[in-house]
Order: sequence, then C-alpha cells, then structure tokens
Amino acid sequence: MKRYVIAAAVVAVVLAVAFAGCSHYTVNERNPDFDAESGYRFDALDAGPDNSDSLFICLMFSGGGTRAAALSYGIMEALRDTVIRVDGRERRLLDEVDCISSVSGGSFTAAYYGLFRDRLFEDFREQFLERDIQGRLARRLFNPVNLFRLASPYFSRIDLAAELYDRDIFDGAGFDDLESGGRPFVILNATNLGADRRFEFTQEYFDAMGSRLDSYQVARAVAASSAFPFLLTPVSLENYPVADGYREPWWYKNALEPESWITQRYNAAKNLSVYLDKENSHVHLMDGGLSDNIGARAVLDAFDRGFIRTRINRGEIKRLVLIVVNARTGGGDTLSLSEKPPGLITVAAKTATVAMDNYSYDSVAGLREALYERVQAQKDEQACLDLLEKQCPGSVTPVPFAAEVDPYVIEINFEAAGQIPGEDSRYYLDLPTSFKLNEEQVEKLVSVGPKLLKASPRYRCLFKVLEAEAEGLPRPEECPVGAGIYP
Amino acid sequence: MAKEYLVVLFPRARRVKINGQFMGMTNRKLELEGGRYEVALGQPFNFTPETVEIDLRNTSSLTPMTVEFMEGSK
Repeated sequence: MKRYVIAAAVVAVVLAVAFAGCSHYTVNERNPDFDAESGYRFDALDAGPDNSDSLFICLMFSGGGTRAAALSYGIMEALRDTVIRVDGRERRLLDEVDCISSVSGGSFTAAYYGLFRDRLFEDFREQFLERDIQGRLARRLFNPVNLFRLASPYFSRIDLAAELYDRDIFDGAGFDDLESGGRPFVILNATNLGADRRFEFTQEYFDAMGSRLDSYQVARAVAASSAFPFLLTPVSLENYPVADGYREPWWYKNALEPESWITQRYNAAKNLSVYLDKENSHVHLMDGGLSDNIGARAVLDAFDRGFIRTRINRGEIKRLVLIVVNARTGGGDTLSLSEKPPGLITVAAKTATVAMDNYSYDSVAGLREALYERVQAQKDEQACLDLLEKQCPGSVTPVPFAAEVDPYVIEINFEAAGQIPGEDSRYYLDLPTSFKLNEEQVEKLVSVGPKLLKASPRYRCLFKVLEAEAEGLPRPEECPVGAGIYP
Repeated sequence: MAKEYLVVLFPRARRVKINGQFMGMTNRKLELEGGRYEVALGQPFNFTPETVEIDLRNTSSLTPMTVEFMEGSK
C-alpha cells in the first residue's frame, strides 16, 4: 500500500513538473518584412458599401465590467435601429461607424461586433452579458490540471481567462479576422505596466515591436484590455527588433526634439519609442482603464495626427461624430458625512478610482475642446469673409480649409438617466463592476442605452441636421455648427 | 490639441506630402500639430524645390504659414 502511495506521489510530482514546464503564454509572432499598406491599421481596412467618409463616426466604450459591455450593447442596438439617408441612400447609422475605441468591459462588445457584426444582436447577451464569467474563471482556476499549469512562471490567471474568452466567446478568432471584416477599426486599449503608458492592439504598435498582429488572438487582446489589477495578471508580449524596411509613422520624425517636450506629439512619439528601444525586450499589459478608462485617447490621437486628421485635411469628413459610452458609476459621497477618517481599504480604493475618474473627465473635455477649436477657426474664417465682403468687396480672401467640419461629441452616462421618465439614475450609478450581473440588471442596462442616446441634445441635433439635409431643407436654426459640442 | 495652420502654394491643385504622408491639397489650409516637418508635393515631379523644411509655429487660422513651390524641373 505504502508503495502505491509513493508511486502516486511521484507521478503527481512528475505531472506537476511536466505541466508547469510546458505551460507558457501565447507568444506574439515576429514580423520579418514591414508592409505599411497591410495589417490591422485603419487605412488598410475596406470601408464597405454602406459607409461614407463624409459622415465619420467613432464610438468609445468605457470600462466597467459587464455593466459597460451591456450599456455599449444597448447603444449598438440603438444605432442599428436608426435609419438615416446619406448621399441619397438609406442606411443604418450603425453601418456608418468607422472606429470603436474600447477599454476593459467595453472591449468585449467592441471586439464581438468587429468580428461577428450583426451576430452581436443574436447571441452576445447569451454568450457574454448574461453569463457568469467570474464563476467560470473561478472554476477554471481551481481545476487541478490548471493548478499545475499555474505553477509555471510563464503561465498565469490571465492566460486561463484568455483561453476561456477565446473558446467560449470569440471562437478562436485572430486579428486577421477583424481585418477581413473591414471597418469599423476596433482599437482595443490596454496599459503598458513597464512604461506606465497606454497601449493599443494595432499594427502601428506591433510594427514598432517588430511583430505581426494578424496572427494574434483577439481574446488575448480583450483579456489584456480587461485585466483588472490583483484579480488578474498581466498579458505579456515579446518586443522584437523591427522588421526589414520599417518606417516610423509620418508624425514621428522630429517629434522627439527636447524643446517639444510639452506637446502631445512629443508624448505620442515617446509612447512609440518605448517599443523602438529594444532593451525593453518584453511588454507587460494590464487593464486599459489604468491609463484611459474611456478609450478617448486613441480617438484624440487619431484626430490630432492619425486617420481622422488626414481625412479632415483632405476634406473628406464633413460631419465628425464621436459617441462616448461612459458606464462610470458613482456612489453618493458618504465619506463627507462622517467625522471618522476613512479606513485603509476605502483610501486604497479611492486612490485607484479618483485619478481614473478625473482623467476620464479630462479626456472627454479634451475631445470637446479639440473639436470646438476647429469650429472656432471656421467661424473666424467666415467672419473675416463677411467683413471683407462688406468693407472691401473684391479683395483677396483667406485660403479656405478643404471642407467645413460639423463636429459632435455625444456623451452617454448614467447621470442623465434621472431626466428620463421612469428611470432612476441611482439604480445604475450603484451597479457593481464585475463580470456577473443578473438578468434584470442586464435588461435594464441594455434598454436604458437607447433612451440615453435619444435624450442627448447633441444626438437630437445630429439627427435633425441629417434629416434636414436628406430632405434638402436648410440646417435647423437651433442646431448651428458647434451645437453638437456645446449647447 | 493646439493646432497650427499651413498653406502650400502651387499654381495647380496637387497633393501635399507632410513627412512623406499625403495630407490634403495645395492652396487649401491644412491643420497640423506644431513642430518641424518636411513638406513636398505629389507626382509629377515638376516642381521646385524638392522639399521644404518648416518649423510650424505661431500661426493662426487667419495667418497661416505659407510655403511656395514653383513649377519647373529639378
């Protein structure tokens, strides 16, 4: 008997060593040849037959677990059900979406739509929103085989999560599948723990890492984007030498001059230079919410120097619509009611969330200001033309922009729910951040999304302007250019 | 964030290249971040100079920086 016990123990140890030794996270593939025209980048994606650049729409899905995923799903339903006429053709507003930038919980909705399109409305609720993802993760964690695998220093809880997402939600899809679907361009955001900077799963970032994104699993990118600190562990990538023929993005040249250090362009170049420095042999990624819990920074970068900027300067974008789906919660201020100072756990939680919430507010404010700056430049130009016409008819006029841009920043958040009959904002603001909500909570989140969108004054203006244009009517007086940002 | 303004003058409508990236047309106002860039035109190569280095700063929408290319071979 004793011999059997010893034999069983030896077998167990051998198995443990074998499992632990074999277990390693999925490594991103090295890219031998650089090709600026292919890979998962905006300019390489097919726009599709129903998408015009004149109406350019980007969505931003915030973090917030299943709460964020359900709210963004509700917004997708609303966009699907909204039919507009652009260039004389009827189309769904959803088909006009050009990019989605997402963080954490919002990344599940964004990636699922990017991969499976209208299948989102058939089975996403069942596949993700109404599933107890946390429970499934816990069961995988305590599976004896996985306990052995977790003994490896190169395999951790996030790898179990990524395997679950890959098998049960994303059907083993890679970024090549996202690429073949064309627009919208889905930017899954994570945070580089080494550099303390935002990271995005796009070929531009992978180019700097000498790596191919097309062969990488979407599930692993979503896992990185939603790797909540302490509960989950980082997703790790290899940083290879750059591929033969690599060229930095156009805005990178001369951007790192020391006197430019206060500019956003310098900051963006610093962000990329982290990966061009090959002493940084590995990249360790966690929840995108640590560096931007809204997903706004990727869109702001595209507006400042990316695919939105090039299209504005070419005069291709007439209407730029940015919809921020912010599932931020916010319990009432109970701390200020107490004479006793808050304890260690409360202070620790506040340390994580206060900075994040303020940064999110600043990110959306930054979007509004950047777009309104364009509106003001256009107004200045028109005022100058009017004055010249009045005072010096026939004189030389200023050189115009390629096209006038009519921008909109539409923010959806739970605070606005209080203005909708039958809704109580408190209900939504008190919902937990987790990957397990009950059916009633999911249903309420999904159904409040379209109500919040339709109640937004900025969205109503967009709709009125699109309707008037389709009918050949003048622009509604109550919605001048700029009303899509500030009333 | 803060934008600067650039107009590239040329007798014809021609694509403008900023650091090698096609970015709008000649004789139209371009909106860019401040800093140093290399400006050129798209094909055909019947313009001079070949490129112009600029340090784009201190402009406004009504007083953009102007860069002029002339027709002619290199």
